Amino acid sequence: METILRSKEMAEIIFLPVRHHSPACAWHVKKMIEARSPSLILIEGPCNADALIPAMTDEETHAPFAVYYSYRDRTGRLSEKKGHYRCYYPFLDYSPELAAMREGRRRGIETAFIDLPYGDILAATQEGKGLLQEREKPNYNDDYLLSRSSYLQRLSQKAGLRSFDEFWEKYFEVNGIRENSETWFSHLYEYCTLARADTPEEELIQEGCLAREAFMASQIVQRAKAGKTIPDGESGAGQGGIFVITGGFHTPALQALVIEGKKKEAARTRIPSDDQEVYLMPYSMEAADALNGYASGMPYPGFYQKIWQGLGGNGAPYHDAVLDFIVSTGKAARKKGEMLSTFDDICAMQMAEGLAALRRKPEPGAYELKDAVLSAFIKGECNLATDRPLRILQEQMRGRGMGKLGSSAAVPPIVLDFEEQCRLLGISFRTTLEREVTLSLFSSQKHRRMSMFFHRTLFLNASFARRVKGPNLQGKRDRNLIREIWKYKWSAQVSAALIDVSVYGAAIEEACVTLVRQRLARERDAREGALLLTQVFEMGLESQMTPVYDRVYEILQADTDFASLSGALEYFMDMQRLQRLYLTSLRLDRLTQICCRKLITLLPSMTRIKEEESTLCMNTCKLLYQMTRREWASLQDSYFEALFSMLRDRELHPGLDGCIHGILYGCGKKDVTDVEKVCRGYLMGTYEQLIKTVGFFRGLFFTARDLVFIGSQFIDMLDSFLRSVSSETFMELLPELRLAFGYFTPGEIDKIAAAAARLHGKSGTSLLAGEEVLPGWYDYGRALDGLVTAQMEGCRDD
Amino acid sequence: MGEKMDTQKLIKPPVEVRYAEELKALQALDSGKRPVNWRMSPEAVRTFILGSREPLEYNGKTYVIEKKYFGNDALVERCIVTLAGNRGLMLVGEPGTAKTMLSELLSAAISGCSTNTIQGTAGTTEDMIKYSWNYALLLAKGPVREALVPAPLYIGMEKGILTRFEEITRTPAEIQDSLISVLSDKVLNVPELEDDGFLFARPGFNVIGTANTRDKGVNEMSSALKRRFNFETVMPVREAALERQIILNEVGALAREAQIEMEVDKNVAELLASTYHELREGVSAYGHRIDRPAAVMSTAEAVSVCYQTMISGYYYDGGRISVDTLVQNLVGAISKENKDDLEKVKAYFNTVIRDRSEKEGGIWKQYYEAKKWLK
Repeated sequence: METILRSKEMAEIIFLPVRHHSPACAWHVKKMIEARSPSLILIEGPCNADALIPAMTDEETHAPFAVYYSYRDRTGRLSEKKGHYRCYYPFLDYSPELAAMREGRRRGIETAFIDLPYGDILAATQEGKGLLQEREKPNYNDDYLLSRSSYLQRLSQKAGLRSFDEFWEKYFEVNGIRENSETWFSHLYEYCTLARADTPEEELIQEGCLAREAFMASQIVQRAKAGKTIPDGESGAGQGGIFVITGGFHTPALQALVIEGKKKEAARTRIPSDDQEVYLMPYSMEAADALNGYASGMPYPGFYQKIWQGLGGNGAPYHDAVLDFIVSTGKAARKKGEMLSTFDDICAMQMAEGLAALRRKPEPGAYELKDAVLSAFIKGECNLATDRPLRILQEQMRGRGMGKLGSSAAVPPIVLDFEEQCRLLGISFRTTLEREVTLSLFSSQKHRRMSMFFHRTLFLNASFARRVKGPNLQGKRDRNLIREIWKYKWSAQVSAALIDVSVYGAAIEEACVTLVRQRLARERDAREGALLLTQVFEMGLESQMTPVYDRVYEILQADTDFASLSGALEYFMDMQRLQRLYLTSLRLDRLTQICCRKLITLLPSMTRIKEEESTLCMNTCKLLYQMTRREWASLQDSYFEALFSMLRDRELHPGLDGCIHGILYGCGKKDVTDVEKVCRGYLMGTYEQLIKTVGFFRGLFFTARDLVFIGSQFIDMLDSFLRSVSSETFMELLPELRLAFGYFTPGEIDKIAAAAARLHGKSGTSLLAGEEVLPGWYDYGRALDGLVTAQMEGCRDD
Repeated sequence: MGEKMDTQKLIKPPVEVRYAEELKALQALDSGKRPVNWRMSPEAVRTFILGSREPLEYNGKTYVIEKKYFGNDALVERCIVTLAGNRGLMLVGEPGTAKTMLSELLSAAISGCSTNTIQGTAGTTEDMIKYSWNYALLLAKGPVREALVPAPLYIGMEKGILTRFEEITRTPAEIQDSLISVLSDKVLNVPELEDDGFLFARPGFNVIGTANTRDKGVNEMSSALKRRFNFETVMPVREAALERQIILNEVGALAREAQIEMEVDKNVAELLASTYHELREGVSAYGHRIDRPAAVMSTAEAVSVCYQTMISGYYYDGGRISVDTLVQNLVGAISKENKDDLEKVKAYFNTVIRDRSEKEGGIWKQYYEAKKWLK
């Protein structure tokens, strides 16, 4: 702990370095406030969240929760991209900052945040650094600053500990709760000074640290001077000075800046506060776990929550927590069928205690707990099949808790809009029981609107509703259905997810529109573009139809990938077919036309394809045939031209060969004898070509299965093919053969079977029947059997 | 026998002889609490195996305790705590991961004896584990204690020292199971001795087993037996630099014992460490994807290849290590089980070593040129 003593100009300032999630730290902060009762507590955190402090310390609010900061760069101050930015500042019960705020509220001490507003931090940060790094969940916490220095990593190694986290636990947590608060803070201060000394200044500038510290220092000085203007004795709380609680990494620098007494804050880009929003949102232990890759402080929040609850009592919190976790892990593992006994629990606890003694820790901690479970609970070699107890432990140490916000927490407009929409549509959104609703999509206006609303929440990942049944345009399934069945349920996650997207708009529709636009700007692939159009279609975002349509049109023109175009064509066809039902009137025919034209142009280059592409290619050929017959007759000539040019390629894929022949036969450009000739060609060829016959059949049956029933040539050919392959090869080809015959209806298969049986002088049904056994024969056999058995038994007795 | 043993006359003296002075110094300076019948405290055992940061001063001499087991320090700590507790310790893992070495180090430090060992084979019988009889005495005096010939488990229980059971999964399952009641009740009944037939284990007794998880022809342990052990899975060394260090240390020690006056070539150790490491992990330092050979690519194998190459260098090549010999020995070590393995190593040379020889030259180039021996 470092103090700047009371002077003529300023109140006394006490700097408390902290690590963001640390039970020992929170405990010592609490004790320091009790002991010194400061007049003001200043906390590191963007100052635009000041108004949230009452809601954060509200008794109805339960951690974990996070402050959610967002900024919409409407004017392009940060970059030309005019992006949307957001970050989280998670709080757990044992976050020292939250402990300080709660203690402040209880004692009537004013608390305030002193860091730059979120947008300004971004402005002070260089692209790709600090909070501008590309991350799924950017985190305001900068505890990583304490552990990344190579000096500190060496220190952990020298101390014989596996990681910085283990180092921290041993010295600052387990040992730390046995120290008095002042010693504890002075140790941490020392440690932080070392971490700071090992960080190059360049990094500090790039990550915006220096700008933030300059601002924080100016805030501290300002507050300290204001604090001095209150005459001593007037306010009872005024005697303890001002507490400055910041991440330990910043403390030494802040202290130096305050002593230096720079009056003016350095010049910086100011970001308008209108474009910045800040809300509280419920958070989960899972998300707060550092091991999840969000790098927010210490791992194992569930374990340390337990420690926090045990602190200040008479027991040994670590010992008790380790015992609890061993017992509950054993119990959970037994439930899942692991053979663990109470004796295993005892051995695990002995192991944890023994390791703690060997490692000179007063009590076993998280790392001893893990070692104990590994050693005592896992039987046999530790691998994926046996390490379930370890995985259960990991889950329990992470914790399952989800926070809850009190009623005083401000609700962002998007959540209000969500509730309003639910009310309008008669959806009971406050129910935590799952409800089901059936929507007649095309006959009821209201149902269509409800469906649109559900689709929108789905698009925003709000985890509110899920479709159980109904036409699935995106997955290209069940498109003939006319009803949708949805299940929906309200939970804290819904509000968290909505707050999460609140940066994109104040209403559900607006957020969807922004996200659609963002996706659209990124998309380069026609198939993905078409999928997005389908989503817009399902969500009924009228205003976005035309822009998305235009953009897809552009993408389509630039895309030359066969698979992507073919995928897009299918989406367009579905939408075109259904658009009257969905009450929209996009000119989808234009898109299908471009698709068809481009696909036909690309078709001749698709002759030597790989096996896995054959299905796609065959589908596309068939699709194009349908399109050119119905809507785009003008393209028919070029389509056939493309097919003929494909046939000229000697190395044409056999499946495609069959497929094209089937199409050409169907439209009368080839007759049965032509097709037969090609087929015989394969059959009479070398062994390798012979094998390919099955592919040819598959393609042929895909487009013209009726050929089989004209005359008997094809059945003959199939028969001669099957006779000429060895049984091993037959087994290899069987899957492909099954596919080939998959195109026939059961009735047709029966017909083919009957024809095949005739070839071998049998009837279809006779293949199924076995030889008859007369009742007399059967009786005779049974009697004989009994006789022999009796004889043999007699032998044994002798 | 330990103290009188002359280290120069043995191929491989037991650990307690090899490190006799170190152990003595550690015992003398040990101030920690010792479990009953342990020669030293758990902390001193750890120092013996994992090395000490500060040199020790004892009897006017300075001892630097070197790290003897590389890899996972936490695992060693768990092993020590297990041995002080109620259960046996079972080290499992792939061949050549220094399981046996670790068990020897532990027994030497804890009981001062690493030779109280059962060597598990398919032919191991209960006599070899518990006790048998001296038949001449048995006929002369009847079943008396004098006529009984104790086996390692009996000795361990009687003296309160550790019993090592090597390759436990090689012995038939029913023989393995004879350990079950001894491990849980800590008593061995010799019915022939009638009332004197109960041997209660003295404190300090425990069992360290080692078992292979990779070899064919091993007998799975019964779950009843598994419950009497804490398991530790010993993994191969994951860092190439560490592997290189192990090769240097081990080959150096072997050479000293065989009185070969020659320094281990650091470059050769580096070559071998990186080859074994990359072939085991299936990816090279440059990111090439490599087919992994089926043969065991353990550090112990690398040590033996390196040592072999050194011997032939010492006797035939005038004290120089030749890369050609190295590759020849490598072939011998790899093509044991599967013919395809050699092809995989060839492919490895033709991609990874080729690129590396172009980039780094020097010994890598020689190494690449020696690929002609891969046949």
